[in-house]
Amino acid sequence: MANVVTGKESAEILIVGAGASGAVAAKHLAEAGFQVVCLEQGPHVDVGEFYGDKPEWELMSQKRWHPNPNVRGRPSDYPIDTTDSDVNPLMFNAVGGSTVIYAAHWHRFMPSDFRVKTLDGVAEDWPFTYEDLEPYYDHMDLEMGVSGLAGDPAYPDFTPPPLPPLPIGPIGRKAAEGMNKLGWHWWPAPQAIPSRPYRGRSQCARRGTCMQGCPEQAKASTDLTHWPEALRHGATLVTGARVREIIVDKAGRATGAIYIDRDGREQEQRARIVILCCNGVGTPRLLLLSRSSRFPDGLANSSGLVGRNLMMHPFAAVVGYFDEPLDSWLGPAGQAIHSMQFYESDSSRGFVRGAKWNAMPTGGPLGMRSVYSGKPLAEAWGANLHRETRKRFGRSLEWGIIAEDLPDESNRVSLDPDLVDSDGIPAPKIHYGNSENTERLLAFHLERAKEAMDAAGAYDMSTTTLMRDCGWHLMGTCRMGDDPARSVVNQWGQAHDVPNLYIFDGSLFVTSSGFNPTATLCAVALRCTHHMIEQKAELEAAA
Amino acid sequence: MSAALTDRDRETFAAIADVLIPEAEGMPAASQVGVQGAALDHVLDLRPELRPAFERGLATCAGAAPAAAAEALNRDDPEALGAIGLIASAIYYMDPGVRTRLGYRGQENRPARDEEEGDYLRDDLLQPVVDRGPIYRPTPKPR
Repeated sequence: MANVVTGKESAEILIVGAGASGAVAAKHLAEAGFQVVCLEQGPHVDVGEFYGDKPEWELMSQKRWHPNPNVRGRPSDYPIDTTDSDVNPLMFNAVGGSTVIYAAHWHRFMPSDFRVKTLDGVAEDWPFTYEDLEPYYDHMDLEMGVSGLAGDPAYPDFTPPPLPPLPIGPIGRKAAEGMNKLGWHWWPAPQAIPSRPYRGRSQCARRGTCMQGCPEQAKASTDLTHWPEALRHGATLVTGARVREIIVDKAGRATGAIYIDRDGREQEQRARIVILCCNGVGTPRLLLLSRSSRFPDGLANSSGLVGRNLMMHPFAAVVGYFDEPLDSWLGPAGQAIHSMQFYESDSSRGFVRGAKWNAMPTGGPLGMRSVYSGKPLAEAWGANLHRETRKRFGRSLEWGIIAEDLPDESNRVSLDPDLVDSDGIPAPKIHYGNSENTERLLAFHLERAKEAMDAAGAYDMSTTTLMRDCGWHLMGTCRMGDDPARSVVNQWGQAHDVPNLYIFDGSLFVTSSGFNPTATLCAVALRCTHHMIEQKAELEAAA
Repeated sequence: MSAALTDRDRETFAAIADVLIPEAEGMPAASQVGVQGAALDHVLDLRPELRPAFERGLATCAGAAPAAAAEALNRDDPEALGAIGLIASAIYYMDPGVRTRLGYRGQENRPARDEEEGDYLRDDLLQPVVDRGPIYRPTPKPR
């Protein structure tokens, strides 16, 4: 990667983390003339490392390209103690971050998501509205190359995405037929995957391997969509740089970071302004690691909320099996259609908030057999293996249910007292359990999803009540707000306690919504970045 | 570093693999597609972390009747049976002949054809959703 620095030269702005939010910030700040340095603990992944166009795809998706860093165990990953968590956090550490292996569902939050306290009497309202964020959603649709169909009645009218939707395919049609029988909402899914060649990226080839890296270089991951432009405008990106501490001066301002390079040497990168973009686990981990006599409980933590209110979107699923072939390995991997039929609160259901559903393909034959793990030999193997593979493979679809989990201070990220990463830095520990509201929500939605599958004509189905490896969406651990006693940063991502320290990643979400959050995460990062650019002359900075 | 697999290791693996993936239902047995051959070395190179459990399983099963050995391994050392089963099934489902019998061409490059786009608009599949109108709650006005 170009422009590797030794840590001797001070930066105007230091960004920690080169994933979705870090890439958006780096591109726009560099274009605006800021001198930007970004430290990323992972590498730049080459397209040749992906297995989606190779026969070994499924074999490697269970290890090298697994979304759980504890399973992957790459040198660029850090271990996470999940012994006190119902859900495993998932992420990828590289240039582009988790967008390298995300499914690229590209959903806006709904207006009610920003007013949960006002409308439903729970959690907190966001410090801005859907309408405040809308122009940034529009902007990100263009930068990512979103494919979708305008007019979804689950939203107010908004600017159509730049590309037409991808086909919904046989599984989407099958799921839609069931929803129509019930009179329930569905819509062709919006994706950050181009249905036409777009800004140098290929058209989607529908390999269905999005979640192990796109070998076609079609899917919008920020290593493709943002970093080339950021570097062209002079940003410096240092890979293999694992930050262990944000350093501060006597006045309490952030002055840069200490990181460890891949030769094991400690380097100091000084900066006038620091922006953290390390995700909802990595950012609170780094703040908690950055203790000092001035900040004994961790940096920017006078509220005690750094690491708290972790939200990870509990995920449940119903897989339906059908008589006819559905080519159910055909991509995109994430979703063909979605439904918000049961998204908004309804007091008659006994819980608040809701969930988004996505109708998904079910992948290849090796993955199909993984559901038999731990079963008797004659059931899992032998002639029954062939019978079940013929019956189910290519003839199934999944309704995935993304449940909104509300903020709860007991769900949190802390520093593990024993576990360390490969550089000896304390690892994060996750404390996370489902609330009674979430349990009721999931139970209700699973029953409705079974009805949807039945209406679609499934002759059999299987149910996953809570998928343990589902913590893709890491939110809430440094939330924003107007009250320094109840939040870590303000609506512009600026830390209440440290005026030149910012957070632009999913940590600052006030609530989680029931949507895949990357579109909102990028829109919020862009809003914060634009504000920083507009306020350039007034920004507080270290000397 | 583990030593190279012996012929006896491969014979044991093929025998256990055939218990797990027998010739049945119009499908070939694992050994008939050569799971014990070069593909085995390739998979172990790609997934070296499987090797200890795999080799432990083979050592346990060597010389025993395959069906009984597989049952015992599943009961006493499911990690070892799991490693043998994963390696066998991974090689099996990568085999072009097996894929042909399943009607599966792998995760292929299949860009959308024109007639696949917007079919739900042409046959009005989406129209009932449009007709029902908005289902969202708008942003409440400030008090």
